[in-house]
Amino acid sequence: MADLQAIVARVRDALASWRDTPNHNPVPAAAAAPGGNRAELASLFARELEAVGGRAIGPIAPEELAGCVVALARERGLKSVALGRGVASDLDNVAQALEAAGIEVMRTRPIAAGPVAQDPAAAAENKPGKNEFKARMALIDGAVAEADCAIASTGTLAVLSDADRPSSLTLLPPVSIVVLRIDRIKPDLAGALEAIGPDAVQAHRLTLITGPSRTADIEKRIVMGVHGPKSLDAIVIWPRDD
Amino acid sequence: MAASPNSGNFFEASERGAADRELQRKLENASTRHLEHFAHTRTEFPAYEAESSQARRIKEEAIAHLDELIVELTRKLEERGCAVFAAACADEARDYIVDVARKAGARRVVKGKSMTTEEIGLNPALEQAGMEVLETDLGEYIVQLRREPPSHIITPAIHLSKEDIGELFHEKFGVPYTPEPEKLTAEARARLREGFLGADVGITGVNFAIAETGTLIVVENEGNGRMSSTMPDVFIAVMGIEKVIPRLSDVPHFLEVLARTATGQKLTTYTNFISGPRRAGEPDGPREMHLVILDNGRSAMLADPVMREALYCIRCGACLNVCPVYRHIGGHAYRSPYPGPIGSIVSPNLIGPSTAALPFASTLCGACKEVCPVRIDIPRILLHLRWKETSSRNFPGWPRAAAGARAGARRFARIARYPGLVRMLGRIGAIALRPFARRGWVRRMPAPFANWTRIRDFPLPRPRRAKNAEREDA
Repeated sequence: MADLQAIVARVRDALASWRDTPNHNPVPAAAAAPGGNRAELASLFARELEAVGGRAIGPIAPEELAGCVVALARERGLKSVALGRGVASDLDNVAQALEAAGIEVMRTRPIAAGPVAQDPAAAAENKPGKNEFKARMALIDGAVAEADCAIASTGTLAVLSDADRPSSLTLLPPVSIVVLRIDRIKPDLAGALEAIGPDAVQAHRLTLITGPSRTADIEKRIVMGVHGPKSLDAIVIWPRDD
Repeated sequence: MAASPNSGNFFEASERGAADRELQRKLENASTRHLEHFAHTRTEFPAYEAESSQARRIKEEAIAHLDELIVELTRKLEERGCAVFAAACADEARDYIVDVARKAGARRVVKGKSMTTEEIGLNPALEQAGMEVLETDLGEYIVQLRREPPSHIITPAIHLSKEDIGELFHEKFGVPYTPEPEKLTAEARARLREGFLGADVGITGVNFAIAETGTLIVVENEGNGRMSSTMPDVFIAVMGIEKVIPRLSDVPHFLEVLARTATGQKLTTYTNFISGPRRAGEPDGPREMHLVILDNGRSAMLADPVMREALYCIRCGACLNVCPVYRHIGGHAYRSPYPGPIGSIVSPNLIGPSTAALPFASTLCGACKEVCPVRIDIPRILLHLRWKETSSRNFPGWPRAAAGARAGARRFARIARYPGLVRMLGRIGAIALRPFARRGWVRRMPAPFANWTRIRDFPLPRPRRAKNAEREDA
């Protein structure tokens, strides 16, 4: 593009006189903090999440997950729940348990394990339904998603989006429930970004979530639930064989 | 906007701000709370110093290779179907965005917080094209309802109390008056949720752009940046050329430092990494994505060896909160979307000659330099801009005034060696100057000191009793 070239040329001219000054060598990558043991990381994560207004539950065993989500849905008074595909956990079970408990379940697409199918036919099929999807999602009481990774030092959940795990899951419903495997908790941000890696960041939308949506725009007083979820529950799962 | 706080020049506007005790109370309130948060996070984050110098080094590297990084970022984004437009000036950026919105048949545009779109005056242009523009950051929404510009880059409604906002909502929406932030926020949530779902175009700013992966990072707490970039079919991101950083692994050095200095958080609630439009099969996200990269005076800053480091700024707003001038006159007095110390150095380049007086709005106390997470030497740049302003233009009376001030300072330096003499002259001055003073300040001194007050006021000497003075001398 001509305009881009013109601006790049202008920048290059401006830089010409000082490029050789010191200190312009690449800065080494941030060193990820050494991983503590799982229980310690999980408890630090829980503390930090609670400090920003979220709640951490567990660690629980994988087979307890469905019961745990149903109990949470009842506690939060949810009549409808949206679910995406899991990352390492089976959310299909969860969906069935919710339905059995009389809660309306909206699946983003048929939930299946395994890699994401990238077929254009499905994309075309989705097209006219977009607004319908948004509108339905906006009326749902809560949603369950699984995090790809978490950060202990800040209480942050890292979520990658794709066709089966749309970003709206952790954005539109007022109650957000996020499932997390304990081995995916990293000590710090550098560790989490290293685990996710540049390829995944290019291929998906990545969202780092630290607590429920909040604002301090009125006299710097903190209020939860501005545009996104008003509550955030993270369920930590610790598989037995680990 | 007849009664806008922006009317008049900087000096009139700053006098209005300085006379507004209520405004100062609000600013004092908010900035004190901010400084407490900041002091707290700084003590419990021992890595702050190390992280902030890494952040500085990465910015130095990034700006030194800006041409290559812009090319890399653009290539990566275009590969994934994001349109990239480079705008040399504000008009070009505005026209492009209005054009994209018009082609999309947009009736409503939702915006996340973006100072860059304030810089290019985007909202009036979209409105003129017949579109409804909805600011969705709570603070921006509030000031938009008042038809006002934001007065702080992080906390746009910092100049308003919860009572002001309660009255505003009562008046605009006919809801019962309440000063409770929770209820006011809930009211805004309901109204803006509807706005998001019916919007055709979403616009946000960009905090960082990663060249390596072609990724835009949008940092926020409310979720409105997420909403603006996923709900509408068309998403437009607007950023200055200086936002590019080299690698994904650079990101940790910035995010924590930014969150801590801007709001005292460890990390903001949402950090969005956006690498392109919606992919096949995805039920949400924009079908069409555009990035506008704006020069608008930035390459000129880059060419100036002193100004250059102003491009390292990550817009955390910390320098506003510590600045005694900002805290006294408020953000509107600057008459620029970028107020405070950082605003005083970037506005003359990004906004233009109407802000040429801003570099003079400083006591050079250095608090801004102290607090800056990327250690920009703001006082040095202020002096540089003052020098440029006074030497490049016809500044009537300036050389004489400067010579007079220099001579006066030299004379004072000789006298100051003798504390007794200073005290004596102070006592004499207090009596002799009283007829010329108003409220403790002498606007115009009699000859031979007239040159001193040509460009500034002189405080009426207030001699202390000898006992106190000696204690301080000791």
